[in-house]
Amino acid sequence: MTRILQGSSVETILTTLRQAKGYYITNTARDQSQSDFKNRILLHTDLMAAKHRDRAGYFSLEITGGASIHVDILRKQVDPFLKLKKLRERMPGTMFQTLCRGVNLFGYRPYPQNVIRFTVREFAKYVDVWRTFDFLNHVPNMYAVFEEVSKAGKLNEPCLCFSTGPEHSNAYYLSKAEELLAVTGRDVTLCIKNHGGLGTPKRIGELVDALKQRFPEVIIHYHGHNTDGNDIGRIVEAVRNGATIVDAADSAFSGFYGPPPILTVVQTLREYGHEPEGLDEEAVIATSEAIRDQRRHYEQFESQIKGFQPTVQIHKLPGGAMGSSLEQAAKGGFLDRMPEILHKELPRVQQELGNYWSVTPGSQILWTTAVANVLGGERYGNPSGDLRNLLLGKYGPFPFYRPEEWIYRKVLGDDWEEVLEREGGTEKVLEVDLAHERYALAEQIGVEPTDEQLVLYLQHPGDAVEFFKFNEKYGQVYVLGPEVFFRRGGFDIGEKINFRDHHGKEHMIEIGPSPVNDAGETSVYFSVDHHPSIFTFKTKAAAAGPGEAPILGKEEILDLAKMGDVRSPFSGKIVEISVQEGQEVLVGDRVAIMEAMKMQTPILAEMAGIVTLVSAKKGDSLKPGGRILKIDVNE
Amino acid sequence: MKKKILVANRGEIAIRLIRAIQEMGYEAVAVYETPDEMSRHIRIADEAYLLGDGPRVDYLNIEKIIRAAKRSGACAIHPGYGFLAENPFFAKACENNGIIFIGPTAEIINNLGNKVIARRIMAEAGIPMVPGTQNLKQGREGVAEALDFAARYGYPLMLKATSGGGGRGIRRIESDSELKEQLPVARAEALAAFNDDSVYLEKLVVNPKHVEVQILADSHGHTLHLGTRDCSIQRRNQKLVEIAPSMIKNQALLDEICDTAVRAARAANYLNAGTVEFLIDRDQRYYFMEINTRVQVEHTVTEMITGIDIVRNQINIAFGKPLSFTQDDVQIRGHAIEVRINAEDPKNDFMPEGGKKVHVYRSTGGFGVRLDGFVYQGYIIPEVYDSLLVKLTVHGFTWEETVGRLKRCLQNFAIRGPKTTIPFYMNIANERDFLSGNFDTSYIESHPHIFVYDEDASEVGKLARFIAKIHYSRENPFSK
Repeated sequence: MTRILQGSSVETILTTLRQAKGYYITNTARDQSQSDFKNRILLHTDLMAAKHRDRAGYFSLEITGGASIHVDILRKQVDPFLKLKKLRERMPGTMFQTLCRGVNLFGYRPYPQNVIRFTVREFAKYVDVWRTFDFLNHVPNMYAVFEEVSKAGKLNEPCLCFSTGPEHSNAYYLSKAEELLAVTGRDVTLCIKNHGGLGTPKRIGELVDALKQRFPEVIIHYHGHNTDGNDIGRIVEAVRNGATIVDAADSAFSGFYGPPPILTVVQTLREYGHEPEGLDEEAVIATSEAIRDQRRHYEQFESQIKGFQPTVQIHKLPGGAMGSSLEQAAKGGFLDRMPEILHKELPRVQQELGNYWSVTPGSQILWTTAVANVLGGERYGNPSGDLRNLLLGKYGPFPFYRPEEWIYRKVLGDDWEEVLEREGGTEKVLEVDLAHERYALAEQIGVEPTDEQLVLYLQHPGDAVEFFKFNEKYGQVYVLGPEVFFRRGGFDIGEKINFRDHHGKEHMIEIGPSPVNDAGETSVYFSVDHHPSIFTFKTKAAAAGPGEAPILGKEEILDLAKMGDVRSPFSGKIVEISVQEGQEVLVGDRVAIMEAMKMQTPILAEMAGIVTLVSAKKGDSLKPGGRILKIDVNE
Repeated sequence: MKKKILVANRGEIAIRLIRAIQEMGYEAVAVYETPDEMSRHIRIADEAYLLGDGPRVDYLNIEKIIRAAKRSGACAIHPGYGFLAENPFFAKACENNGIIFIGPTAEIINNLGNKVIARRIMAEAGIPMVPGTQNLKQGREGVAEALDFAARYGYPLMLKATSGGGGRGIRRIESDSELKEQLPVARAEALAAFNDDSVYLEKLVVNPKHVEVQILADSHGHTLHLGTRDCSIQRRNQKLVEIAPSMIKNQALLDEICDTAVRAARAANYLNAGTVEFLIDRDQRYYFMEINTRVQVEHTVTEMITGIDIVRNQINIAFGKPLSFTQDDVQIRGHAIEVRINAEDPKNDFMPEGGKKVHVYRSTGGFGVRLDGFVYQGYIIPEVYDSLLVKLTVHGFTWEETVGRLKRCLQNFAIRGPKTTIPFYMNIANERDFLSGNFDTSYIESHPHIFVYDEDASEVGKLARFIAKIHYSRENPFSK
């Protein structure tokens, strides 16, 4: 029973792993939050679990990375670095693990090399295990991260993204592993990243066996999702065939698309004679006891559809994207079309686009394309900017085969061969001037930013600035529990809210009445630590600014566009207005770029003429039919 | 060898003086007490001498400063403001040791520092002063005298003990009956408190404006003024916001006040830079208050609107040179505002934030902006000296432009660590009476809402605001 403690050198970690008779468990708390709770589990809840989780003796706690960095600042209003610091205070013994998308870091598009390196350096101060992948298994996309992790003395965990189908053979994965290990060396843990929970237990067992036969000294870490309800089976076969580390999560929050419960894994493997190394089962149970009661506050973030989804073997959506896809379908009113999208169109698109791995950002491209194909009527009729980039090879080469010509023609146009010749190839993202970025951030927040603030700004400029301003205005809100943070319908008069602030000071807020005065302003009366406070809110004026418009149908929007009235075709955010007032445009010219569900889509002119009025600006959130700009006939 | 001038001061004024000295091609000698050993003025000066461990005793030690001047070979001493600036013994000691004191002579400082002598000089020169009586006679005769004065000047009046001072032995009288009742009481109290029962009456100027005139006088018989300043916005006689020129719309009155100031300075045989202070009542009558015999904190606003470097002229005058310009050359251009950015909490009675460290310091800049500062990132607010961080002076062509610039500059500052007076000034800059130039010495008490801001809200205050937002927006935006 050898526990691996945080602070151990990579050499010690690997020696211990290689000598281990049993197996280790990574508590995949972040992936559980992402897959089953839309990434919204608060630091407050993780802090409640922290002491028990530390005592449990996991190989690591996967608690950051993936989409969580963005959601932390965008929705949970917590600094991702502060989160790690606070958890470290209560978890001195456990290694922290992240999930990094290689050149796409924690975002959806390639970042400049110097941003990647700077980001990894800053996070490596707190993160011990770096699970890094690329959705095309394109190894050069991971070089920079590997190097920086190594330099920081932290453990690299390169991933083989896993999927199923005739191309996904042992031979392919062995050669890919060879290519990876040639770069990282063998003192790493190699992850089989089964983000969809695909394949049978038998298939996983065979793959692990093949890898162990070829690379006996390489430690295998199996990561899976329980979307079909069978990940325990896959985990069992992985361990029986030589995997040393497996992923599971706390039962109190286990759902459908995340990892399976830790205790079930332990109990099942025990039957086969495999014991978990360094694990304190009492502490595993105590963790769930400590946080079980919190789950009810997260109900609104759970999946719209309850139950396991064995059909994942057909549509292959990753567990981390299931929740958000279903949410989008519910909000977009096309939940009823899901069987068609998931079981017919998505597998078809997947085949057509090269049968690559359905994981971020590649999974979003497949999903939006399939949705657009079904809802738009014409297949590939309204391709997203990201699909275009995929075909242009901006993310890397297709691993097995290229899509057929007609798809290139649809997406890139009739001169697709020329376009491919001219624009194709891996995107060389220009390095940014970090000093300049730092200055720009300082200008926006009025103080000299810390390195960590700069890192967040470089990932998500607009959202980071909003977050820093939020922080300045509202303080460190992570101290509030989900029952406060997510409260709907307001509090009751006389209700008391107790909490301990970021500096450790205890406070009590008692809710008072909220009368409305003649001017329509609401005064909210609180007693804050027994001192009366009043917060006044002005009545929201019925905003009818740019972009606000009655929701229009798709055809109406297209008709208007043909008359020069360019409207937003869907709910999304303006990323760029590509033209200026007075500029001449031709049919098919890009006039704006919009983003929805993290995917960018160009808005094209449907009429030639002169741009006479631009009503939307960068950053505006528009509903379908929201005004963007007007084009008038050039006379 | 270059001439050396010793700067007998610390803080922002020491830096201001050193800059002028160095610009003139002289060398600046700094002195300091131990708590100031990290201070900026020592780094900027050409050489520096430790006076002793202080605090606030060695900067006042005439002997030590004279000794430092002699050791360094300085030929002159500039005292700045505060400390020894208006101490006639210091000026005298300089004279006795053959060192030029940059300021008026010891005799002038002495005369103008003594209220009785100063009043007599001004009365002889016919300078308007707040009307008052001599010591009131004893008994019924005194009462009659007092009622007579009241009938002439009206209420309210101030009944003052002749030997009183520092605000003691003063009472406000509103009516004849109150006067008759209070006179014997005041006498008895004065006798008990000061062992002297003499009292006198003075007209109370209600909510006056505080207007002052900058004077320069050389040793060649030239005395001229650099226009007016308004320092009405003050709190317990401490000036907070100073502007130049005065916003009084009556130009003839302002011209008359300036001429009167020059007459007053001449009457006192004034030499070097000085300030003649006046009170102006609601009926635009003005009264002489006193002459300050030093360079003042707020001299920057005058420099901005005239383009004339007052400190440089002080030095030239002290070296016996004639002023290089005439009254006609002095042109007032635009408006200037100065605010003293202090590490203080205005909400907590302007309590200094001594001992706190400035973790973040970002200042402002741009057109029409002047900073006279002592602070830097990492500066620790001294507990033994004043809490002034930096003086912000803005200059603009119009009043609106100047206020806009002030607001912009206050916004640009980022000071983290101590609380500062910045949000308080921000409220003033947004306040309607200030914007319309309509303010007097009652401004702070009559505008209590300028103390309402939450720039430096406590952590719990911020969280309460957050909870209020969740409470108010029933569709909790964080729950979507």
